[in-house]
Amino acid sequence: MLGEFEYLLLSAAARLGDDAYGAAIRREIEGATKRRCAVGALYTTLDRLEAKGLVTTWMGDPTPERGGRPKRMVRVTARGVQEAKGFFGAVSRASRGLSWAVDPVKVPS
Amino acid sequence: MMRSGWLFLSVLARALEPAERDVVLGDLAESGEGVGAAARHVLGLIVRRQVGLWLAWRPWLALLGVSCLAAVSLSRIVFRLNVDLYKHSAGYATSLTAAQEVAFLLLLACAVMVWSWTCGFVLGSLSGRAVWLTWSVFYFVVLDSAWVRFLRMGHIFLPNPHTHEALLDSLPGTLRLLMAITLPLSSAALLFAFPALVGTHAGARRRRLTVHHAYLMASLNIALALLATWSTGWYDPAHLPARWPGVPWSTRVLPSLLVSLPAAYLLATNSVIHATQGKGTSSRAS
Repeated sequence: MLGEFEYLLLSAAARLGDDAYGAAIRREIEGATKRRCAVGALYTTLDRLEAKGLVTTWMGDPTPERGGRPKRMVRVTARGVQEAKGFFGAVSRASRGLSWAVDPVKVPS
Repeated sequence: MMRSGWLFLSVLARALEPAERDVVLGDLAESGEGVGAAARHVLGLIVRRQVGLWLAWRPWLALLGVSCLAAVSLSRIVFRLNVDLYKHSAGYATSLTAAQEVAFLLLLACAVMVWSWTCGFVLGSLSGRAVWLTWSVFYFVVLDSAWVRFLRMGHIFLPNPHTHEALLDSLPGTLRLLMAITLPLSSAALLFAFPALVGTHAGARRRRLTVHHAYLMASLNIALALLATWSTGWYDPAHLPARWPGVPWSTRVLPSLLVSLPAAYLLATNSVIHATQGKGTSSRAS
């Protein structure tokens, strides 16, 4: 089963689609969690997901705003989608009937 | 970010793989992080990568087997070579002929070079990107453990006279300690450091020797170990006739065997690979 951060990374990459790469995924995760995302955590998790066959990565073209440096592009594989679905299902089932799952307003900020 | 800040980050990021370095620096440039935050991110990734390397068994085998176990024995041999070279250049009087002296020193110098290369090769092939740490430990254990041993043994008085250090009893105590401290600057240190560095580089690039080269290196290591054991049997008594009453060969061969352990590893791994490939070929043929 996926870890929490692995799920966040897969979700962010899936949402970004063809524009998924390191810095963009990091922004997505920070936007979703309202917490800082370490570059070290991002790239080591990305390697782990790639080793498991849940994502594929490749080098993108360099851009001027990156000082001419390339991006590491990310695409979620079909197996990655299945794993993410499985994780979400497990969290949904585990949260069924709980107060914070029933009424999202009560979620502590 | 200031130019000096980028320069600092670029230097720091050299600890990462080239491809990853570019990607990470590009991400940090795009996100507009300050130098401090960017440096924390890069450092964090470096630490994670290094820790990740040590989750495998190979760097541990390199550290414990080569950088510690074999290196301690190699250190003793390099140190005694340094002392023997000093004695020879100082015209130390013995019952040996000049040819015997030179033959022994040449043999020991060759042995140090071959053992150092073999240790370096195995270190490089096992360590991967952790080689900077295993190499540093290896280097410091070989060249700096001599004076630590002296301090631990109370500088002059030796608990066991059947050790290589007993040979040094013919030298004044302060000179012995000075030679131990300055070992990294000696010619013996060069005979160790250069082949070890070349071996490490070759090991890190090639990872594995061919079967024939592995057999050749193992045979050379064993032959030198036996020759060194045999030659210390007549060299040491000639230098210290009063304090060297026939050291058994089993005691003399031990340091040479310990320093030959990396060669045994080379031979064992190549034999296993050779046997596996042989099985694969025969099963395909049948």
